[in-house]
Amino acid sequence: MEEGQIQIERLDPETEFLLSKRQTGNEWELFKENVRPLKRGRKVHLLNEALKSHNDNQLKKSLLENRRRLIEAIDEYQGDDPLHPWLECIKWVQEAFPMGGDYSGLVVIYEQCVRTFWHSDRYKDDLRYLKVWLEYAENCGDAEIIYSFLEANEIGKTHAVYYISYASHLESKNKMKLANEIYNLGISRNAQPLEKLKDSYRKYFARSMRRPKPTDEDTVEKRLPGRSFGTVLSRGENRMQTTENSDLVKKNVRAHATPLTIFKDISNVDRQPDASKTDLNSWRTLGARAERNKENNAIPTKWTTYKKPGSITGGITASSIEVFVDEECEEIHKRNNEGGDKSSMLQLRHGDGQDLKKETELLRENPLRNFPPNSLPR
Amino acid sequence: MASKTVAKDIITLRGSAAIVSEFFGYAANSILYNRGVYPEESFVKVKKYGLPMLLTQDEGVKSFIANLNSQLSEWLEAGQLHRIVLVIMSKATNEVLERWNFTIETDSEVVEKGVSREKSDKEIMREIQAIMRQIASSITYLPCLDEACVFDVLAYTDKDVAVPFTWIESDPKLIANPQMVKLHSFDTKIHKIDTLVSYKNDEWDEQ
Repeated sequence: MEEGQIQIERLDPETEFLLSKRQTGNEWELFKENVRPLKRGRKVHLLNEALKSHNDNQLKKSLLENRRRLIEAIDEYQGDDPLHPWLECIKWVQEAFPMGGDYSGLVVIYEQCVRTFWHSDRYKDDLRYLKVWLEYAENCGDAEIIYSFLEANEIGKTHAVYYISYASHLESKNKMKLANEIYNLGISRNAQPLEKLKDSYRKYFARSMRRPKPTDEDTVEKRLPGRSFGTVLSRGENRMQTTENSDLVKKNVRAHATPLTIFKDISNVDRQPDASKTDLNSWRTLGARAERNKENNAIPTKWTTYKKPGSITGGITASSIEVFVDEECEEIHKRNNEGGDKSSMLQLRHGDGQDLKKETELLRENPLRNFPPNSLPR
Repeated sequence: MASKTVAKDIITLRGSAAIVSEFFGYAANSILYNRGVYPEESFVKVKKYGLPMLLTQDEGVKSFIANLNSQLSEWLEAGQLHRIVLVIMSKATNEVLERWNFTIETDSEVVEKGVSREKSDKEIMREIQAIMRQIASSITYLPCLDEACVFDVLAYTDKDVAVPFTWIESDPKLIANPQMVKLHSFDTKIHKIDTLVSYKNDEWDEQ
């Protein structure tokens, strides 16, 4: 051990901070219910700014501006790492919209980002790219299709976090056998970091041994606080946050999949109730633009008549973000769904809250709806 | 219990030291619980500071904290303790992920002359309560600790203080380029405690 407990020639950052008498605003604490925790953590000063700004029209306008600029940066990027400007934009959306929610466009930008690079060899093993996929999966009703897609397209298969995330999701759906297989698959492939994967597997295994029967959703409650925050919001993390409420689970469990299951049940009533059937259908009809247009046009009417029982945080706080909608741009509302990146990017650029919300709804329901049919797992 | 050693609203040096070391014990437990360093079920709920507080049942951790507290009290009474830091590190890599920094300002007059001060116990408790609430709420912005972690406690004392038997000298275990958040403070009029949490920056960009 090195000498000296207080050998500080220059002040360490913490002492310096304290001596400067800088105060950290406490918006983060006052509005903590409005904040969706991020796996990577947040910068508190940005969080405080964002929380303040959602009550301030001036700041709201500048938020809109910022988003436009970041999207432009994506288009104009010339360097050799095109993923980078996307990540900057995603990070910004996460900071600027602490509550997340459907009007933030977060899900939309996840989707556009992953869709832009899914065929790229360069990013197949890129951990950053994989993380975008995993965050996208967290936000979707039935993430299994995403995990299958990643497997089929060999994305992220060298990373432990893929298997941990996948297995976690399966566990929350009580698919213990399959989860077990996934862990073994990852270990057999020597996914890195291997120790982390093995560690997670050990804990999972212990949990699975403790389970009485594989059917009850109640058993999820007996799980240890999951270390994999990203996919399963275990009670440990959930203690202090109010994410989407779950009416299905009577107890205090807030596994991410469960609240999103409600979401699936409520929206798109004209779809088949069975999730897998829905997916199959949409694969076949993915190419048909008319079909998609029909969805986009049908939904608004259903929306106005439909009352959501679940208190999805995004929905409640959405009223404050709605004003965010840039009034001048409402007319430029893009109707054409050419499916090309350009038009959907424009959609994002004009930042129409309604558009974003609609698209988010559709994506949550069917995460791969914009992908070409030949890319989808069989 | 602090209330036993402290007469109504008069705060003595000993009483203040007891309040502070007790605070640290509860704060440490709360951090270990909220940050998932130890599993949830190894904690038991008690009432303290008007809040439900979690205390570990793990024998190792319990005795560690108990020993710590008596040492802290001793240092606090002598006015020799300046800072106490709870460090959370990755078990696998020993990398410091989070630091909970409690900085202590001691009224030296009290130490030297043995006078006492006055402050409402209730108010001190309210201040401590505010800090405890913030600790619990901090998951709002703290990064997820998704790997097995261990913790350590660093005490910053006067240079001339002898290192006690169960302690070792250490490097400060700082985080490079940390994000820092200042939380509330509390003040017994003899010891003033500032709380700060620093954590590793966002790592999305890492390959």
